[in-house]
Amino acid sequence: MSKKLMALLAALLLVASFAMAAGEKEAAPAAAGVVVDQWEIPFLNSLTGAIASIGEYLQWGAERAAFEINQAGGIAGKPVKVIGVDTALEPQLGVVEMGKIVNWALVALGPVPEPVIMAAAPIAVENEMMTMTATTSLEYAERFFPWSISWFPATADRLPPLATEWAKMAGVKRVVQFVGVYGPWPGMAAAHVDGLKAAGAAHVGDVEFNVDAVTFGPLVVRALDMKPDGIILACWPDKAAKIVQELKNRGWTDMNKILLFSSADDAALYTTGGAALNGTIIYNYINVDTDRPRWIAFKEAYSRDHNGLQPPSLSTNYYDAVYMIKRAIEETGVTGDPRKLKEERKAIAAYMFNMKNFEGLLFNWDMSNGIPTNKPTYLFEIQDGRKKLVKEIRP
Amino acid sequence: MSLALYYFLAITAIYILMSWGLYLPYRVAHLHFLTVANMLISGYLAGFLVQNLGFSFWIALILGFAAGGILGYLISLFIGDAPTFTVVIVGFTFIYVSRTVVENLKAVGGTMGMFGLPTVAGTPSTHRTVLLILLYVLVVVVGFLIYRFEHSRLGRAASAVFVDKDLATSLGVDIKRMGRLVQTFSSLIAGGCGVLYGFIYRSYHLDFFTFHLVGIFMTVIFVGGYATMWGTVIAAPALYGLTLILPTEVASWRIVIYGAILIAVLVLKPEGFITRRLAYRVENALTRKRKRHITDPKGD
Amino acid sequence: MQVFIAQVINGLSLGSIYVLLATGFNLLLIVAMIIHFAYPQVVVFSMYIAWVVLRYTNDNVVLAVLAAIGSSILLNLVSAPLFQKIMKNREEVDINTTMVLSLGIGMIITDILSHGFNKGLPIAFPEALAGTRPLLRVGLISILSGQVSSLLVGVVAVSGIFLLLYKTRAGRAFRAIAEDPAGARLVGIPIVRTGLESYALSGILGGLIAVLLAMLLGYTSPGLGELVAHKVLAVSIIAGLGNLVGGLVVGLALGILEALVQGYISGSWSNAIAFVVMLVVMLFRPRGLFGIKL
Repeated sequence: MSKKLMALLAALLLVASFAMAAGEKEAAPAAAGVVVDQWEIPFLNSLTGAIASIGEYLQWGAERAAFEINQAGGIAGKPVKVIGVDTALEPQLGVVEMGKIVNWALVALGPVPEPVIMAAAPIAVENEMMTMTATTSLEYAERFFPWSISWFPATADRLPPLATEWAKMAGVKRVVQFVGVYGPWPGMAAAHVDGLKAAGAAHVGDVEFNVDAVTFGPLVVRALDMKPDGIILACWPDKAAKIVQELKNRGWTDMNKILLFSSADDAALYTTGGAALNGTIIYNYINVDTDRPRWIAFKEAYSRDHNGLQPPSLSTNYYDAVYMIKRAIEETGVTGDPRKLKEERKAIAAYMFNMKNFEGLLFNWDMSNGIPTNKPTYLFEIQDGRKKLVKEIRP
Repeated sequence: MSLALYYFLAITAIYILMSWGLYLPYRVAHLHFLTVANMLISGYLAGFLVQNLGFSFWIALILGFAAGGILGYLISLFIGDAPTFTVVIVGFTFIYVSRTVVENLKAVGGTMGMFGLPTVAGTPSTHRTVLLILLYVLVVVVGFLIYRFEHSRLGRAASAVFVDKDLATSLGVDIKRMGRLVQTFSSLIAGGCGVLYGFIYRSYHLDFFTFHLVGIFMTVIFVGGYATMWGTVIAAPALYGLTLILPTEVASWRIVIYGAILIAVLVLKPEGFITRRLAYRVENALTRKRKRHITDPKGD
Repeated sequence: MQVFIAQVINGLSLGSIYVLLATGFNLLLIVAMIIHFAYPQVVVFSMYIAWVVLRYTNDNVVLAVLAAIGSSILLNLVSAPLFQKIMKNREEVDINTTMVLSLGIGMIITDILSHGFNKGLPIAFPEALAGTRPLLRVGLISILSGQVSSLLVGVVAVSGIFLLLYKTRAGRAFRAIAEDPAGARLVGIPIVRTGLESYALSGILGGLIAVLLAMLLGYTSPGLGELVAHKVLAVSIIAGLGNLVGGLVVGLALGILEALVQGYISGSWSNAIAFVVMLVVMLFRPRGLFGIKL
């Protein structure tokens, strides 16, 4: 390739980079009532990189909601489109993309996951735009109130009752936790301990490890040396599966006395663990055996598109988020007029912050100052890759 | 200036500075990955000083630079003239150690990270302006220093070390001192970058400082050109911007495209886009033009 | 005492991973002077190929093994010329450029695996291949079939390759073209054919390693290669580049060290402590514990 051509290429690339980074959306013409031809909702998501498999089904959930809404006539009569914006796990992509989005969007979905949230969400806050971080804990989301809402109540409130119920049900007295050293998980592990105390069970120790652990024999031996009769796993899904297998290899038989936390309830748990997980208990926020028609349709569609797999629990979060946006737009009379962007953003955010009786895919809940109330949690038993409801726990 | 353009420019400045931070030790054939650990340590230190102890940003920035420089200097006492492999292992070790220490330090937020760092000046808009100016002043200053280094005896000595360490020694080059100098300076730059990186985001999270950053900076250096400082200036915005301009369908294959570009450049243009010869020709042309202008400003 | 023994056995199991990968890494170094930082990613790719074949052939292990070996050979044949094109001096190890090239190769492999296989999710190997059958279990001490196979085969592989490279004509030819291609040509060694044979050999080893890792771990994921790449490089450097026996000893020692740290101190500190220990060793023995053998 000639030097001139290469120099030209490099120059073009540079110019294009600056141009796109500074890109603005054209303003729509003003009109009475709804002025947009289409509602566009950007979703800052991890579509590539280490958690691309999670980003894929989050995107699927959001697009499924958009599909259903459009089939039913759209939002205020106009179709809706979810625009996937890939930020991978990179905060440096998240900030530029959020910087573009705040110029035109009424509300955003994401970002995902925590490093990108921390970098990009403040931009949304500064521009007074709601950004719905539906996969992270309250402890992250509340930093950006009132321009975000939490999908989960406080960890210290929601987790102890789960641990208590499980400990009583399984009859455990000495519990060891495996804790993945990442984000909110150590905090969640601490909340489990509070729950164990309430059940009269002793927390005999934590076995911490990092994401690059590839074998689990040493960790499991350390745990078993503490002579537990119960195990809680608060770590990555595939590693949780391997730990369960390792426990079984070392003679653990009472699978009900193993509790997996909600963040482990992901496709990676089931593809890695398979039948080894049978009998273990897992807690989460969606009950896959609910007979709501919308849920059944969702489940069937997911299964069709994902080789027969069941929807992971997080797949419903952004589905519900899109429906929340629909309701907020329709109830507040938002028009999509760019000249009213600031006030309409405020209206949407304020409405969502205290939305009452939202009809989610699986259950109804209220938002109170950005925090969901009366959301149930469930204990399930895993059997052959499926979750069987054991107990519902309401706050 | 739009927010997107601000972040693009700010992160590009960090990329340029950090890539220079890797470029400089590479002039003596060292892959000095310690710089990522310097970013992390100085960044969290500054965050702690500002948020927990109420220090001003400017003091924290100076201390961040200093922490990077001091750590880099102390380590260089041991590895200034070490083989490349040793320098690589040192870098990896400090990245692992610093990440583990921060994970376990509640005072800096542990695994949750540090949120809501204050602005460096008044409003968010002023904060951004100040940071951007500061970043590009640093780019100019560091660029000037590296330029002067390259065009000095030290720079020529570094080139000799890169080509043949033994020959350089026999010509009187003090390898250890040279190694100490470049490593200390690169760690100093990295320390400052760590502070600024966090204040761009106004938060710190461990996943801001990963081995992935090493890959990014190496790609910038080798695609831009590892033999001169100018390649980084072109490659940093181009490679960063590339990820932002790809259409959605293609963007999902971004990492493959990155890897392919890197391989293609290494195979077809091993010295990178901006070779030493090209940089020399451009400099000569500019020097000739300047001389012509000085001797005959009217061009008669 | 039981705990200590159990942890040592765990350490040997973990160390086997490093030994296998370091052996393949060192082989490429010896026969082609290539520092293939992304060698673990190549092995993981072969594991995925084996998994695909198992899925579509009703768990035919023989075909899966052949497919893993085939894919590893293919990747080697494709990438080795790229390495040799960029090396300044074919007779010397050029860590800088080869490391960067292998970074690029690793990025591509990891991303293809994230996109193209099982939607980027981890995969589990069927019982037919995964060696999860316990051979011995006494209290906390447990020895699985996969652990025994991988350790034994690792030792056999190191011994076999050592003998091949240092005690046979073919091995001398491989080393000759790596150390001095011009000299090798002069003495009549067919460069192209011998080069291809050496790449094929490392490909065969890579495929076998993939199968053994599948037996040992029972699963793999797109990011698995990246997780161990630093340690594989470190093991090879600490042992002495190209030192097969050193790689065996240091690999196992690192595995035992990590297991003991995870067992007695903390899992989250195991990487940091392991690297600090390796660093201290490096500072006192910059050419590696057992010396460079290139």
